[in-house]
Amino acid sequence: MSVRLTSDLPLFWNVSLINGAVFLLGTLVLVVSPLSISSRVVASEVVVVTVGLTIMLLTNALLIRRSLAPLDRMIRRMEAMDQLQPGVLAEEGVGPVRGIARSVNGLLDRLEAARRSGNAQALAAQEAERHRIAQELHDEVGQSLTVVLLGLKQVESRVPAEVMEELALVRESARAGLDDVRRVARRLRPGVLEDLGLQSALAALVTDFSTNSTASVRRSFSPGLPTLSADADLVVYRVAQEALTNAARHADAGSVELSLGRVGESVVLEIRDDGRGFAGLVEGSGLLGMRERAALIDAELTVTSHPRSGTTVRLRVPS
Amino acid sequence: MIRILLADDHALVRRGVRLILEQEPDLSVVAEAGDGAEAVRLLRETEVDLAILDIAMPRMTGLQAAAKISERGSPPRILMLSMHDNEQYFFGALKAGACGYVLKSVADVDLVSACRAAMRGETFLYPGAESALVRDYLDRLRRGDRVPDSALTPREDEVIKLIAEGRSSKEIARALTIALKTVERHRANILAKLGMRDRTDLTRYAIRAGLIEP
Repeated sequence: MSVRLTSDLPLFWNVSLINGAVFLLGTLVLVVSPLSISSRVVASEVVVVTVGLTIMLLTNALLIRRSLAPLDRMIRRMEAMDQLQPGVLAEEGVGPVRGIARSVNGLLDRLEAARRSGNAQALAAQEAERHRIAQELHDEVGQSLTVVLLGLKQVESRVPAEVMEELALVRESARAGLDDVRRVARRLRPGVLEDLGLQSALAALVTDFSTNSTASVRRSFSPGLPTLSADADLVVYRVAQEALTNAARHADAGSVELSLGRVGESVVLEIRDDGRGFAGLVEGSGLLGMRERAALIDAELTVTSHPRSGTTVRLRVPS
Repeated sequence: MIRILLADDHALVRRGVRLILEQEPDLSVVAEAGDGAEAVRLLRETEVDLAILDIAMPRMTGLQAAAKISERGSPPRILMLSMHDNEQYFFGALKAGACGYVLKSVADVDLVSACRAAMRGETFLYPGAESALVRDYLDRLRRGDRVPDSALTPREDEVIKLIAEGRSSKEIARALTIALKTVERHRANILAKLGMRDRTDLTRYAIRAGLIEP
């Protein structure tokens, strides 16, 4: 009864009221009952007082325990919470306990929001840095090596025959260096995405994949897809890149299908392989990365996978 | 004498290309531009037979400049010079009106022959594009799709398989113990027989294969 009465009071008043009620009851019993205590206490009186006190203490303890039980439950739940997907605490119990649950939930929301914006900033910073490095590789290192290559060719006709072979070797090294620069720059940041758009970039990705893998890849793009923002293009590209990498590296797939289509107002990227799937396996950092990127543009990422029947990665981007 | 305009934002690269071209008695660089917009402007003032444009340039990229130049009546032939070993750029270049695509990493070897091919009205394919096209042709042949009536000679059959593997002419010559010049002739014949020597055919192929939009 006292629990219901005190349900909206602060914790201090809650406990005080329970104590007060029990003391009041004890005092009333003392006043109303014919009980008296002699100036020289007799044994029977000690027994009665002790029993009365015990009853009061027990009642008090039971009532307080009952009103504090949700707090204990909440502590256990908080200890069991998953760091990455905390969810929410059940808001139950008496006023103050419910209040704590409510403020913990508020705190969780704020932490999640901060984590997301932190991730967004980290990803944006990473992309910007990659962009800068790729650009410098292209514009500085690449051009210098081109100059070296052309220069070597130019002097070729004027050098004595005995250094020709040496010169040819140097020229091949410059060429290999230029190829390396191009490959690294391309992996850092696909220039084709900015220059020619998402479909071209995905097509190039598929071509790259099929030259470096035993799996056969098919791609299909629906005509007349809505244009996405530059950020969304990049997310779609990176998700496709990661999904193809997974298919090649872990899934042991024989064939892979990449499609870009439209569902309602959304653009949907789907990568489906016939590999061995990964049910039961913990989601690796690759998948986590895809999820975090998807969250940046409010896109929805679903990964379905069954052992031996392949994996499907689906990204739905609102346009 | 073939009059050439050269556009690249990197002055030293421009100088290198120019020196390579001017080693040939019939090639002469008559104008140089530092970006796409300047190239377009210079072409209005100067009589030029061939424009060599770098793909990545500030203000106006090589592709944009090529498209702009091709819009004019009787445009010069256009060659693209690029760092990107990528079919998308190659077909993008063809779509913009270029008739050849030279990779910077093989420019020392390919540039002069690309210029001559362009002036003959042929399309110059960089090695990666050539092997991709040939691979696609062999795939279609294996699947039983309708392919151009080719009738390759047995020797050309051998060469086409090596091209599909991405081998260079030098490697093919060594593998088949024939002269480099013979390999080059086989390559040209094969592409002509497959209908891949011509810009229109190649562009049509790229559209059909979904590599570029019409």
